[in-house]
Amino acid sequence: MRVPLSWLAEWIELPGDRELLLSRLTLAGLEIESEERTRPDLSEIVVGEVLACEPHPDADRLSVCRVGLGGGEPLTIVCGAPNVGAGQKVAVARPGTRLPDGTRIRRVRIRGVESAGMICSAQELGLGEQHDGILVLDPTALPGGSLEEVLPPADTVIEVEITPNRGDWCSLLGIAREVRALFGGELRLPPVDPPEVEEPASAAVAIRVEDTAGCHRYVGRVVRDVVVGPSPAWLVHRLEAAGLRAVNNVVDVTNLVLLEFGQPLHAFDLERLADRRIEVRSARAGEKILTLDGEARELGEDDLVIADGRGPVAVAGVMGGADSEVGPEARSVLLEGAHFAPARVRRTARRLGLHTESSYRFERGVDPEGVRRAVDRAARLLAELAGGAVLRGAVEVLGDPPPRTHEILLDPRRVDRLLGTDLGGETMAAGLERLGIRTTVAPDGRLRCQPPSWRNDLHLPEDLAEEVARIHGYDRIPSTLPRGACRPARAPRRVAVAEEARDLLAAAGLIEAVTLSFYDPGDAERLRLPEDDPRRCIVELENPILRDQRALRPTLVPALLRAARRNLDRQAGRVRLFEVARVFRARAQGELPEERLRASGVLAVAEPRGLWEPNPPPPVFFRAKGAVERLLVGLGLRARFSRAEGEPWLHPGAAAEIRVGRERLGVVGELHPATAAAFGIDVPCAVFELDLEVAAAREPTPPQLRPVSNQPAVRRDLALLVDREVAAEELADLIRRRGGDSLISVSVFDRYEGEGVPEGRVSLAFRLVFQRPDRTLTDAEVTGAVEGIVRALEERFGAALR
Amino acid sequence: MVELAGELEALEAEARQEISAAADPQALAEVRARFLGRKGSLRGLLRGIGSLPPEERARAGEAANRVKDRIEALVRERREALRREAEARSLAGHRLDVTLPGAGPAPGHLHPLTRLMRDVTRFFHGLGFSVEDGPEVETEYHNFEALNFPPDHPAWDLQDTFFVRGGHVLRTHTSPVQIRVMTGREPPFRFLALGRVYRHDSDPTHSPMFHQVEGFLVDDGVSFADLKGVLFAFARHLFGDDTGVRFRAHYFPFTEPSAEIDFSWRGAWLEVGGCGMIHPNVLRECGLDPERYQGFAFGLGLDRIAMVRHGIPHIGLLFDADQRVLEQL
Repeated sequence: MRVPLSWLAEWIELPGDRELLLSRLTLAGLEIESEERTRPDLSEIVVGEVLACEPHPDADRLSVCRVGLGGGEPLTIVCGAPNVGAGQKVAVARPGTRLPDGTRIRRVRIRGVESAGMICSAQELGLGEQHDGILVLDPTALPGGSLEEVLPPADTVIEVEITPNRGDWCSLLGIAREVRALFGGELRLPPVDPPEVEEPASAAVAIRVEDTAGCHRYVGRVVRDVVVGPSPAWLVHRLEAAGLRAVNNVVDVTNLVLLEFGQPLHAFDLERLADRRIEVRSARAGEKILTLDGEARELGEDDLVIADGRGPVAVAGVMGGADSEVGPEARSVLLEGAHFAPARVRRTARRLGLHTESSYRFERGVDPEGVRRAVDRAARLLAELAGGAVLRGAVEVLGDPPPRTHEILLDPRRVDRLLGTDLGGETMAAGLERLGIRTTVAPDGRLRCQPPSWRNDLHLPEDLAEEVARIHGYDRIPSTLPRGACRPARAPRRVAVAEEARDLLAAAGLIEAVTLSFYDPGDAERLRLPEDDPRRCIVELENPILRDQRALRPTLVPALLRAARRNLDRQAGRVRLFEVARVFRARAQGELPEERLRASGVLAVAEPRGLWEPNPPPPVFFRAKGAVERLLVGLGLRARFSRAEGEPWLHPGAAAEIRVGRERLGVVGELHPATAAAFGIDVPCAVFELDLEVAAAREPTPPQLRPVSNQPAVRRDLALLVDREVAAEELADLIRRRGGDSLISVSVFDRYEGEGVPEGRVSLAFRLVFQRPDRTLTDAEVTGAVEGIVRALEERFGAALR
Repeated sequence: MVELAGELEALEAEARQEISAAADPQALAEVRARFLGRKGSLRGLLRGIGSLPPEERARAGEAANRVKDRIEALVRERREALRREAEARSLAGHRLDVTLPGAGPAPGHLHPLTRLMRDVTRFFHGLGFSVEDGPEVETEYHNFEALNFPPDHPAWDLQDTFFVRGGHVLRTHTSPVQIRVMTGREPPFRFLALGRVYRHDSDPTHSPMFHQVEGFLVDDGVSFADLKGVLFAFARHLFGDDTGVRFRAHYFPFTEPSAEIDFSWRGAWLEVGGCGMIHPNVLRECGLDPERYQGFAFGLGLDRIAMVRHGIPHIGLLFDADQRVLEQL
């Protein structure tokens, strides 16, 4: 809400120190979002009188003016405005003066005539938008004086953010009350009683409240012989300063009162109400109304409407109808003030997507006791500003009693205990009283507190504790550290595993990314996922912001591929990113989706060779697998890799699935060329994605030591020629099985194909280490074991020693 | 005797010359053998002294031993010189440009939000707060109703919500973890929940996904003053000892009294989150007696803290995975 401070000052005396005022309001919960001046400081601009005005000898559209400044030699000023004329009082910027936009005025020659300054337009002075000529001042302005003395004083407008519990703050009155509570003083309310004529309002209109749950109170006043026209300048300025547009004097009066008292009002053209009848009722299914904004709207039974003899003429508390709008020809006005059920107004406003100044206030709750006062105030202003005759009395109809504030019994010791203060009942009672909460001390020391009608947010002792704290000042509450039992802090295994995974992948040289959890279902196609792939069970959003973010991701891969693409576009030589985050999978209707913790990474190699790296470089698959191995070992998982099946987004020849026991953890592989193309990746690229839930489900057990032996170890290297399709791990498995107890380690240390190796075959070199815990092995024992192994390899795989 | 002395002198001179000419340890060993070995020249010379008279024999023996010692010393010296030369040659042959980078993969990096969350966790671990976890897709019950959001109330507008098709919402804050942790358990509670939250909001200063840390403490006699003390200490831990903290009255459905928290940062107030005493309706909803227990809760936005900590100008950079950015942080 926008509050001009000069206006507020009419209602309550403000402290001289504006900073203090704003900071106290902010701490009390009225957050000042912005503070702006209504116009710039114009003390350097002077009032001038145009003594003479003649056409420029050399330019059609320019005039040469002699401008008097009250004394001394008049200035010669060249002016281009069409509306300049002799005798006018104008705003003059002399050479050396700075305009609000920062331009400095200089003495210049314009087509041969020297101009000693500038006659300013409203826009040049920061006073308005129009630019149809110079600003012409009131003829009584004194030449030579500062423009500041002629203009209405500059004002400061603060924009206040109002929390949804404080409907009462949505008005000048509410903010003035808060100022009073903080700084003291007396409220100065504007007069409300209208002058009345003899004829009673009850004869002019009939009002009935049918939906008594939706409308607690309806007050109508009738003003006759209204002359609709523009509002006076002060009213227009007020509304504009508060951010509203002036329409005509009748509408402007209702808006002014809305700002003053927070009570939304509506004005009907009484002549246009069928049967001069008002009925407050639920809309009938299918009923329609053309609202003031020109939209035809269909209503439902939950919507509360104001109807006349024909049908709805307003959506209650939200917006009036176009048919009964007060136009220039209106003569009789029905002023409506009401108290509608907040939840009803909110539902309708939301359903219609129609949020107005009125619905905003009704949703938050207006003072049920303030309806009549606001209607009276508006009637009085109509009499003053539109020459209306106010009919005698108001037609007031009650529905169900409005929600009322109830007395709250407050134990001061509990409040002190909650706040950690030592205020005592007396101090609390004094503070509450300043907020208009009537407080008496009961014999047992407790406080009986009766909140005022406008505080619909106060129900519990805790609510009052907040009021006590606000008035006392949050900054004056002490700071202590909690006492009480302190147990050892811990974190769930899943959280710990996520952190370990991040450390391990960063240690493997990867860079952690955090990307948005959203997903484009079209990615299923880009990943070439089969129709029955579980990754197609996605969680879709009802109200996405962007089309390509309309679901939650079932895999981290697409976001990382896009990140890779962006980094390649930025000329990254190597992309090496990982992310640890949740993926989502829809479950049965009504159930929460499954959320699983995943670690995923992408490596893309645009610059294949780096310093100290082997030449030729390893396939990018092995770079990714290296990171995965470090992760698995670090997490204490003994995993097996085998050729991946059923992953059409990965290269069929360069993808492995990763299993721990019987559980499949994930995959690592190079991208399938079609997937790479779909994501715009044109360099070697490998990805991995691992489910960390398996690791999280395992209780971490300390690794158990297998004794090391000090007996001499015997090393034997075997270079084997095998078919290309035979996996090294299969050979190693067989070697282990046949090697007996004394074979303690098997590793591949070389792989070679090419010259010297037959087509379709590959040479794999294994290093075998034999050792016994109890004694030295004999050469014959080792040789015997190796021969057995070689025989088995020959038989099973057709392997030949090289 | 005079004759022998002359021969010894000549032998020593010869040995000295050959030793200094020996080019490597091998040649030196040969020279030594030639002079001092069993079939060496010195032995040959001594063979003749048996014919000398006893007192001269002793003198001659002594003279021969002195020569032998001196030759041995020359050999030792030459051997050491050769070793030093060889070492110098070998060192000269291995001379690296030590300014070149080290081998192995380039260093990895943790995301600034990860590092901040760990920092936060460590601080609160020290105060006995354990970490808890909750789902990112939440029921409306946990996200709103149990947290005392009144039905059809503008409080719902405070948190622009993503709705999931078929029911549920993306959690708009980490507060639902309060409900999940407190329901069915007995205080004292000291818990922390960190993670992703979502709001239907996207502009240069807002991301539809961001990060929060929720902390709550429920016990006998926990007060707003305790809440202030904890957050003061936390602010100083994060931003240094002269950091100011400001509590502004505010409204949240799930706390009463409620406040918004600002930390001072380079002369301005940085809004970091909300806090307050847990609303009695929330405690009651979790099966706790508000007459007996009091507690506080706070929820802080982590992204903005990470941004000001590292001088990151806009929130989009946190989620863009730009290696040029992440490698610096």
